[in-house]
Amino acid sequence: MRVVIAEDLALLRDGLARLLRDNDFDVVAAVGDGEALVRAVVEHEPDIAVVDIRLPPEFRDEGLRAALRARDRAPGTAILVVSQYVEHAYAAELLAGPGGGVGYLLKDRILHVTEFVEAVRRVAGGGAALDPEVVAQLFSRRREDGPLERLTPREREVLTLMAEGRSNAGIAEALVLTVGAVEKHVQSILGKLDLLQSAGDHRRVLAVLKYLQHQ
Amino acid sequence: MPGSAQLGRAFAVQLWASVLTLTVLVLIWALSGAGGFWPVWVFLPFALALAIHGWVQLLRRHPAIWRRPRMTFALALTSGIALSLTLFNVGVWGASGGGSFWPQWPALAFASALAIQASVVMFTAPTQRQMSERIDVLTSTRAGAVDAQEEKLRRIERDLHDGAQARLVALGMSLGMAEQKLDAAEPEEARELLAEARAGAEHALRELRDLARGIHPPVLADRGLEAAVRSLADLSPMYVSVSVELRERPPATVESAAYFVSAEGLANAAKHAQASRVEIRIARRGASLHLEIVDDGKGGADPEGSGLRGLRSRVQALDGTLRVLSPPGGRTVLTAELPCA
Repeated sequence: MRVVIAEDLALLRDGLARLLRDNDFDVVAAVGDGEALVRAVVEHEPDIAVVDIRLPPEFRDEGLRAALRARDRAPGTAILVVSQYVEHAYAAELLAGPGGGVGYLLKDRILHVTEFVEAVRRVAGGGAALDPEVVAQLFSRRREDGPLERLTPREREVLTLMAEGRSNAGIAEALVLTVGAVEKHVQSILGKLDLLQSAGDHRRVLAVLKYLQHQ
Repeated sequence: MPGSAQLGRAFAVQLWASVLTLTVLVLIWALSGAGGFWPVWVFLPFALALAIHGWVQLLRRHPAIWRRPRMTFALALTSGIALSLTLFNVGVWGASGGGSFWPQWPALAFASALAIQASVVMFTAPTQRQMSERIDVLTSTRAGAVDAQEEKLRRIERDLHDGAQARLVALGMSLGMAEQKLDAAEPEEARELLAEARAGAEHALRELRDLARGIHPPVLADRGLEAAVRSLADLSPMYVSVSVELRERPPATVESAAYFVSAEGLANAAKHAQASRVEIRIARRGASLHLEIVDDGKGGADPEGSGLRGLRSRVQALDGTLRVLSPPGGRTVLTAELPCA
């Protein structure tokens, strides 16, 4: 799998490149700002771009905006945004575009190398990876009388994992359940929230997130 | 006497003692066959003393009475005393059987003395214009202080984000990779990664320590301005001479402002002016702390640069002044005047 990295701090850029190379990714470019990211993506057409949200010159959300521009120019490039803070508003912008392959993770998640690498693969393969913090922020905004209150505690756990982008098998593993049991929970959740059952994991994440955001 | 306690214990005691004395005198007068009412001669001076005492206490406890335009404490006090004395005179005149109304003459004299005092107050009080200028200065320096504070917080956030936080992420990455290497039975690589992680932790600690010192150096709080400035001088690569003449510690806000002016001055001298020697002089001048930093660098400092602007806001917030003299090619002199009141 071919990767482009955009991170302004050399320390983290090098660390990330080494970590991904060690795990059999082909890091084709590692750049330090948004413009260079767009150029690198257009030139190398990687499977995925791993991008820090804060990049020079303003150190606000240049990384996010450059990643969205890069995806416009090279459609089909998956984007995984990493940051030291998460804001659910950024996740919404990222997910607003067409197609799959988006992720938004705290840099903390990189420390769990195996899980992080798995998330990069999932996003590169068209899936989603949302940080539990983002999901928690969305959950905390819910209203008292909303339909979320109708979910059982177990269903809420399943919903959180769904929003993070996990597959039914992944959820089953995390909660030590059978895949069949997870499928039943998912059906029940989608029914209670009036969401349509759709095939792909990514579609499902989108539906859940849109739902949470409009709560 | 309800309310008398509000004017203080001393006044209450004086009041009750006076009432007691007068009651005894009136009793003696009644028992001794009534006759001319002589206790009035004791009553009048007692009342005068009480009136003056009460008025002073009232003014002290309720400054709102005299804190208003064209009024001062002294004027309010004089007016009260003049009124009490006039009433006393009228009392004396009445008790001594009336006749020609002489108390009008001292009252007239009191009135003209009060008129003089009032006109002095009027001419020396700040005019409306002076007051509104002062309000403008206060408004802008307060806004400047808030901006400087905001700027500083943003810088701290950046320093944390790019410094210690990034180091910790990198350190975590090294540890995570080491874990992978151990799982893959590659202990040599794991050891290398662990050594990197330890070096990263030391680096993060150092950065956090430097950042904390930049926010508020512990030595400033513990040992005062002189020790803190000397420690700045010791850390500087230039030859720095420090002279501090302070008999007592200035207020904490002044110490802190003087410290940061010194720190910024030293940093500018090293970075922009490429100076090799710097002199820092700190002394008490009257009610102010006077700080002077002179370097032998190449001058040309921009007084509107962000560093100096931040310092100026900080100094102005304390009603102080900051001057920069930095001719291109010449010595730079940075002077700060910080009121210690």
